[in-house]
Amino acid sequence: MKKLIQRLGWPGTLALFIVLFFVLLAALAPWIAPYPLQGAGGPNVVAKLSPPSADYWLGTDHLGRDILSRIVYGTRVSLTNGILIVAFSLLIGLPIGLAAGYFGGWIDEALMRGTDVFLAFPALLLAVLMAAALGPGFLNSVIAVAVTWWPWYARLARAEVLVLRGQPYVEAAQLAGVSHWRIILRHILPATGRPLTVQAALDVGPALLTAAALSFLGLGVLPPTADWGQMVDAGRKFFPARWWYSAMPGLTIFVIALAFSVLGDALRDRKGGTARASA
Amino acid sequence: MNRRNFLKAAALTALATAAASRWNFAMAEGTSSIFTLAYPTSFPELDPATSFSNDGAVLANVYEGLTRYIPATDSAEARIEPLLATSWEVSADGKTWTFTLRDGVKFHDGSPLTSQAVKGSIERTKKIGGGASFIWGPVSSIETPEPLKVVFVLSEPQPLDLIASAGFAAWIYAPSSHGKEASWFNTGNDAGTGAFKISRYEPGQRAVLDRVEGYWGKVPDGAFQTISFEIVEDATLAQNMIESGQADWTYSLPYENLEALKSNPDLNVVVNPSFETLFGLYNVKRAPLDKVKVRQALSLAFPYDDVIAAGTSGFGTRAKGVVPAGIWGHDANAPIPKTDLEAAKALLAEEGIEPGLELVMTYSTSQAIEAVAGELWKANLETLGITLKLQPMAWEAQWQLGKSNPEAAQDIFVMFWWPTFVTPYDYLFNLFRSEEKPNFNLGYYSNPEVDAKIDEAAKLSGTDRAKAEALFIEAQRRIIEDAAAIFMLDQPNVHIIRADIKGYADNPAYGHITFVNELSR
Amino acid sequence: MELLRYILRRTFLSAFVLVGVTFLVFVVAQVVPSDPAALYAGPRPTAEQIEKARQELNLDAPLPARFATFAGAMASADFGISYKSRRLIADDLRAYLPATLELAIFSTGLALLIGIPLGVIAAARQGGWTDRACSFGSIAAVAMPTFFLAMILQLIFAQWLGILPLSGRLSREIAIAAPLPMVTGFNLIDALIAGRLDAFGDALTHLILPALTLASYPAGVAMRLTRSAIIEILERRHILAARALGLSEPRILFGHALPNAMGPALTVIGLSFAYALTGAVLIEIIFAWPGLGRYVSEAILAKDFPVIAAVTMVVTICYVVMNLLIDITQALVDPRVALS
Repeated sequence: MKKLIQRLGWPGTLALFIVLFFVLLAALAPWIAPYPLQGAGGPNVVAKLSPPSADYWLGTDHLGRDILSRIVYGTRVSLTNGILIVAFSLLIGLPIGLAAGYFGGWIDEALMRGTDVFLAFPALLLAVLMAAALGPGFLNSVIAVAVTWWPWYARLARAEVLVLRGQPYVEAAQLAGVSHWRIILRHILPATGRPLTVQAALDVGPALLTAAALSFLGLGVLPPTADWGQMVDAGRKFFPARWWYSAMPGLTIFVIALAFSVLGDALRDRKGGTARASA
Repeated sequence: MNRRNFLKAAALTALATAAASRWNFAMAEGTSSIFTLAYPTSFPELDPATSFSNDGAVLANVYEGLTRYIPATDSAEARIEPLLATSWEVSADGKTWTFTLRDGVKFHDGSPLTSQAVKGSIERTKKIGGGASFIWGPVSSIETPEPLKVVFVLSEPQPLDLIASAGFAAWIYAPSSHGKEASWFNTGNDAGTGAFKISRYEPGQRAVLDRVEGYWGKVPDGAFQTISFEIVEDATLAQNMIESGQADWTYSLPYENLEALKSNPDLNVVVNPSFETLFGLYNVKRAPLDKVKVRQALSLAFPYDDVIAAGTSGFGTRAKGVVPAGIWGHDANAPIPKTDLEAAKALLAEEGIEPGLELVMTYSTSQAIEAVAGELWKANLETLGITLKLQPMAWEAQWQLGKSNPEAAQDIFVMFWWPTFVTPYDYLFNLFRSEEKPNFNLGYYSNPEVDAKIDEAAKLSGTDRAKAEALFIEAQRRIIEDAAAIFMLDQPNVHIIRADIKGYADNPAYGHITFVNELSR
Repeated sequence: MELLRYILRRTFLSAFVLVGVTFLVFVVAQVVPSDPAALYAGPRPTAEQIEKARQELNLDAPLPARFATFAGAMASADFGISYKSRRLIADDLRAYLPATLELAIFSTGLALLIGIPLGVIAAARQGGWTDRACSFGSIAAVAMPTFFLAMILQLIFAQWLGILPLSGRLSREIAIAAPLPMVTGFNLIDALIAGRLDAFGDALTHLILPALTLASYPAGVAMRLTRSAIIEILERRHILAARALGLSEPRILFGHALPNAMGPALTVIGLSFAYALTGAVLIEIIFAWPGLGRYVSEAILAKDFPVIAAVTMVVTICYVVMNLLIDITQALVDPRVALS
């Protein structure tokens, strides 16, 4: 524990625990949510739009469903959304970046110019365009965001590979006639994969923020699945008189995005710190 | 950027704020003759020939038709009122209609209303063939024996007095505009006879109308000089505007907020029945919904009262078949089902339906109440072992799926219907009469007996309305018996107006249209 | 010479990217599961009306021919016809683009105005409480969902305090009773041209809340970039020399350190501009701001793809051109950029 605080600082440690807490919420949603049925979408019309109370800690929505339970269930959607977005993006971006960096020449030029086209769009706009074309739905919104996300990983991977390619052990392997495939799989991928995975893990926060924006626009999951962005939007027409409907999921998005952001900062600061010390 | 500039900018901002608020104060005095409507949608089409959506709200204050429909109230029967026509008569076979025009009416360009102008307007509308122009389909020729007498010859008997009262495509416009393109109208030009003319149209923001001199009709004391249609998509903003007095009229605020608005002494919440019914068409071409008992079971599982309570905060009413209250042909004593899960279970068992059945319900993304109905229905069906998959779609996509192959289409098609002109025929013909190629009969229901009744009633509706009404009701009863559709609710019309507005009466035949000439402050 | 080659190469690449963008948008448009002809034909069209629309829109033409039409429409800035309103999209854009640009430019200015001074202050008080508060604020600004921030700002400034207007670009009184003649489409500029101080003030107060919403994220980034740039510079020699000469601390900060931190400012301008253009999609509806964002959100609901495509293209062009200008400026300011 002490070591952790030393490594991340107390804000970073706190952020880490918040992230872990949300992961726990997602995993154990049916056991944690006070009204699992409502969390999953079951209506409860009699309690429609009740303010926070002992029964409903965070109030209820327009179908009387407990907001707390909806938020807990929404954690599943948001986290898997964020994780799938970066996973899909890695799946596309990593091979492209590896190939571009390793082979260089026209392959590099072609792949990176293609990547540039995707980077030329303001990210959210391309996601909106994709989501509008694909229609609402969980997987569609994941794909829509991933399409805007992968070019960053392609660039990152390429940059890492460019450094590695000049390493003596890679050049030695090439001279010894080891196949490209083997070199990439055995030497390049493990070395680039690790920093990229760390980056990707931290990107879950921003990814989920983007996904929330899409679902706020009505391009996310289908009802009655709970989703934070969609809840903020649905509650907006009752805001501010029934503030809890929008405010609770809105604050939840803020807290989790903040936690990821602080955690990322803590990790970067640590890297920066060691770099300065060594210099 | 240095600190001095920063301070300068801050000071400028403060100054500007002060200047602006003083201006607001000064201007507030001068706005009492402006009637402002916070309208939730834009007005794309200002050509009276093709307008067929919310643009009607603007055009109805600029243009007039030959007649106007006044719906039934508790104390009076529905009737058709003279507007640009003062009287009309129909031949015994229901195929020749003669309208006498009002004398002394002038278009905004100064030209007089004549039978030629009426003929020219309807012929232009028919020729362009857009929007609701199909209402003139039965008209085979228009004759103009006298300047103030116009004769319509129909190919089949039709209630032309009703058709002429339609909210769209029935407008009469000046001969000088009959050669104009849609673009001329859409840049804010008009050629109507109404009390107002369009003075400014800013797409996506507002349309501003000003009163014309010498309007033929009665103008109340303190009538408005200017109308501003402000396009405000956001319900929260619209509510704020009406509460603060920035708007005089709005609708489509969340039902849940209406109680609070009712207790506001500055506001009037006007609740009326609308002519809009919410229903779901069962796909009768696809198993297991091809079985009457399965369809009946689904209808028995629908939580009617809960949907009215949750979806409309109790403002909606139970639908009694497809024709809503207020329209002739409405069946007040229709044998509609009540929510009864036990009975539903028994019917499903009778047909040997096993748990695990999955049904797809499509509905329009823009209709929140359809989502509520779906979510609540889904919960009830879950207890019967049926999974209802909710599929919100853009209306065009939903419609396209429905029109494609019935075997592969949705199981339940949820939609609203409103009549192009006020007749039960509009509902029954479009939604339940057999269609070779599906258009709006998206449950693909086909019953020759019902078809015959609908056709016969249509023929009689110009000449023997009582008999027609009886036939329409018979057809509806048969449709309910067959459970061809689930009739969810009749949507209420709720308009919120400032309390100091006098003379307001909602007319559901013209959905969300306000005839501002009749109002005053 | 190097510089010129760099500029030419960047310009060429930007042009190439725009061609790619056009192609991509067209491909995405083919996926849309909706019937454009039905949308175009109006709310309740007959089969004949739909068929007529299909022919008018040339929807049965082969794919390459349709791409040619599409690319032609984009290249000639004509953008085609909206399926929903049947209006020329170019006409609509003329009204909506200036509104969004005005907001984007104003919020970019606001982001710099907030972010850079705070960054300088944080750097000067490095490690202190001010620094920590600023750092936390900047992280919070980045993590805040824009749409939620918009709601909170409206609640505080318009509904509780009542000092700023809730929504719109101009007060109703001005817009209806004494409208501004449209010259540039930028209300602030048009008001000045017309010599209407009242309208200027009114437009300005309407800009503040939406601009503040869009400025929060880039202001956070600006603050952090400025802070680290200044901290780095403060450790450099000429600053140490200035200190030794006894120059006052503010003078060192604003006179010597800040000009050297212009790099981050340029980066922030690009970022903020892009953020404002896309954030518009989320907040223009909330603020009833008659710009591209509101236009496109309505088009999304209706699946009005020509509008979605046109807005995507226009915003992307703005974005690409902006990035190009920033890269060139950066190269002019610091020629090392061109070499790397």
